[in-house]
Amino acid sequence: MTADLKNEVEVWLTEHWDPEAECELGKGEYDEKSWLKKVVDAGYAVPTWPEKWFGRGLSPKDARVIENAFQKHKAKGWGRDRFHLGAITIYKLGSDALKSELLYDLLTGPICCLLYSEPGAGSDLAGVRTRAVRDGDDFIINGQKVWTSNAVEAEYGMLLTRTDIDVPKHQGITFFIFPMKQEGVEVRPINQITGEDEFNEVFISDARVPARFIIGELNKGWFSFQTAIASERLIMGQGITSRLRGAAGKTPALLKLAHDHDKLNDPVLRQEIAQALAYRQLNTLNMLRAKEEVAKNGSSSLASLGKLAMSRIQHGEARISAKIIGPQVLINETEDSRNANFDAAKAYMNSIGGGTDQIQKNIIAERVLSLPKSTDVSRDIPFKDVKSS
Amino acid sequence: MTDFSEEDREAICDMFRRLLADQASEEKLREIIETPSGLDKALWQQMAELGLTGIMIPAELGGIGGSIEEVEALMEVAGASLYNGPFISTSVIAPILLSAATNTEFVSALLEDIASGEKIIAIAGCGRSGDWTKSPEVSAKQNGSEWILSGSACFVQHARNADAFLVATAQEGNVAVFYIPKNAPGLDIVEHDTDDKTLRLSTVDFDKAQGILLEGVGEEQFKSATQSAIVALAGEQAGATRQIFDLTIEYLNTRFQFGQPIGRFQALKHMAADLLIEVESASSSARHAARALASKAPNASMLAYLAKFTCADNFRKVSADAIQLHGGIAYTVEHPAHLYWRRAQTGQWLFGSSDRFRDLYLSEMETAP
Repeated sequence: MTADLKNEVEVWLTEHWDPEAECELGKGEYDEKSWLKKVVDAGYAVPTWPEKWFGRGLSPKDARVIENAFQKHKAKGWGRDRFHLGAITIYKLGSDALKSELLYDLLTGPICCLLYSEPGAGSDLAGVRTRAVRDGDDFIINGQKVWTSNAVEAEYGMLLTRTDIDVPKHQGITFFIFPMKQEGVEVRPINQITGEDEFNEVFISDARVPARFIIGELNKGWFSFQTAIASERLIMGQGITSRLRGAAGKTPALLKLAHDHDKLNDPVLRQEIAQALAYRQLNTLNMLRAKEEVAKNGSSSLASLGKLAMSRIQHGEARISAKIIGPQVLINETEDSRNANFDAAKAYMNSIGGGTDQIQKNIIAERVLSLPKSTDVSRDIPFKDVKSS
Repeated sequence: MTDFSEEDREAICDMFRRLLADQASEEKLREIIETPSGLDKALWQQMAELGLTGIMIPAELGGIGGSIEEVEALMEVAGASLYNGPFISTSVIAPILLSAATNTEFVSALLEDIASGEKIIAIAGCGRSGDWTKSPEVSAKQNGSEWILSGSACFVQHARNADAFLVATAQEGNVAVFYIPKNAPGLDIVEHDTDDKTLRLSTVDFDKAQGILLEGVGEEQFKSATQSAIVALAGEQAGATRQIFDLTIEYLNTRFQFGQPIGRFQALKHMAADLLIEVESASSSARHAARALASKAPNASMLAYLAKFTCADNFRKVSADAIQLHGGIAYTVEHPAHLYWRRAQTGQWLFGSSDRFRDLYLSEMETAP
């Protein structure tokens, strides 16, 4: 079965994909829509899903055979049943009618953006204030979202809205799949402290979304949202492990930097460098243990420590890089200085993004160590009475 | 490599855990440390009967032929109860050094005595620096067919209870190891008053004392024995760290103030979450180091050094914060937290300091292929 499948995919890729030019054979340049349609039609984009929904009904293990062949040929469009959050959420929670209407479009288009956080709803996402008000067959949306990546290219967004302010916050939320390409949606890039602008603000004024685009049920969006965020955490975890694998075997960057700046004889710096490298290696060893535990018992509480551990690693390495470079780090004229200053700012991406370290510590304390949950004073009162800054 | 399966390893650990639960409660430990010897000899005999004292000794000499992986796992169990017997000296370091010696007949008899529990061996491994990676301060001179030892060894564990010593000496830039019975003329033990009452430390003075050379045992063999010793200690510390952490989490769930368990307060939750990383890092580093040593992996030294300072530092950090998290109750001598915290301080210095091993870890990284 596996060998046949591998052979079939290899033949298909050879007939359709040009690995040199990294585009469809004979096209000369990459045409995303056209290529993705071919991949989806062949059943290779979401192989673990049933045929009715563009898949092949394969096991995750067999699906990897397809993914591996695609990666070998440098072909795009694989693994959308693992990485296309919007499509995954509609597949899991959408009605058959909604799937029929949207799934093909989603799978053959860019990934959806996530319209979750707001200026007043960061760690406390259930406090979203973006309003959705019924108007005939549509809802009219007004509000502001932040920290949205891919907002410019996305055709659809996953939108968390407030539909009832007279009930406690978790009970008045509705989750939509929201068309981005319409008047009333304005995307502004956020200038970040790293000099990058990968995130955006999205201003929504009197934009419309059909009522049939609700994911799950009206006012029960918090439950649908949990499914979406679980898929997202799974993706983040996969990203972390594969990055670590990529780093193995190379001379650690910090060691190379210290060598280049002739600081390996400084006994104080040696201690700090060694400890920083140790934190990184210890996290790798913890994640290896997590993998072994998952293989043996099906789960591991160790996996939840990785993100928190990574904050200490990244902030620490950036701080020590600056010490190695010395006062020259003030002058952004060398690559080493630029990297050190960039990394120092970028470390906040890990310690704030995807849930701050402090929220992560609450989660670890409550879910792994089973300590009592903190009280949320806004949890059981009508949303309209919740105080905001 | 070991012939033990994972199930075998878990089985001997379970056996050891039951024995300690039965014979080495906190109450018993507090009794034992008040006795002149500070050691429960009956418990040592029971460990011998279970094969544990001969864990690293081959079956034909009365042992059970385990590897450092079994030792590490057993030490995690030992650490949880703050077990204080001469296991690392007698059952880890001594068998490694003796097995490397080429005067086979002599060492075989000794190994059998260790496995049977008949002999306890203490190791004189360092001078005033406390650092086993630096030159010992005992010297050996050959006089005809005899070897005469002079100088002092410091921070020697279990000296009073030992039947004999293995002594590391500096020999023209190399290390040589000698066997010397406790009652040998010229050997004098000075017992010290230690802050950690669970582990006794002595200075052992040699004044023209006569020793028996372990032939073929030099710097390389001594280094290898030291690496196994620090990984065994790391395992002990990882086990102790987890135990004091678990006790602390239990307290956070059961101690009420302001009408609620104190574990609901975020200041304490955040400390607990941070400590969990240190607890797990200790276990991971000790276990991976043991596995690497057992399979003679090329990065085994690096992982052993990593485990040494990680487990030592994390045990100290977690046991110190355990006292803080408990509050007043752990400031009383009746509460066990200070026993862990004091043992943690000892472990920070045994075989060499954390700073020393952090530096050696970096040196290994610099020369890694």
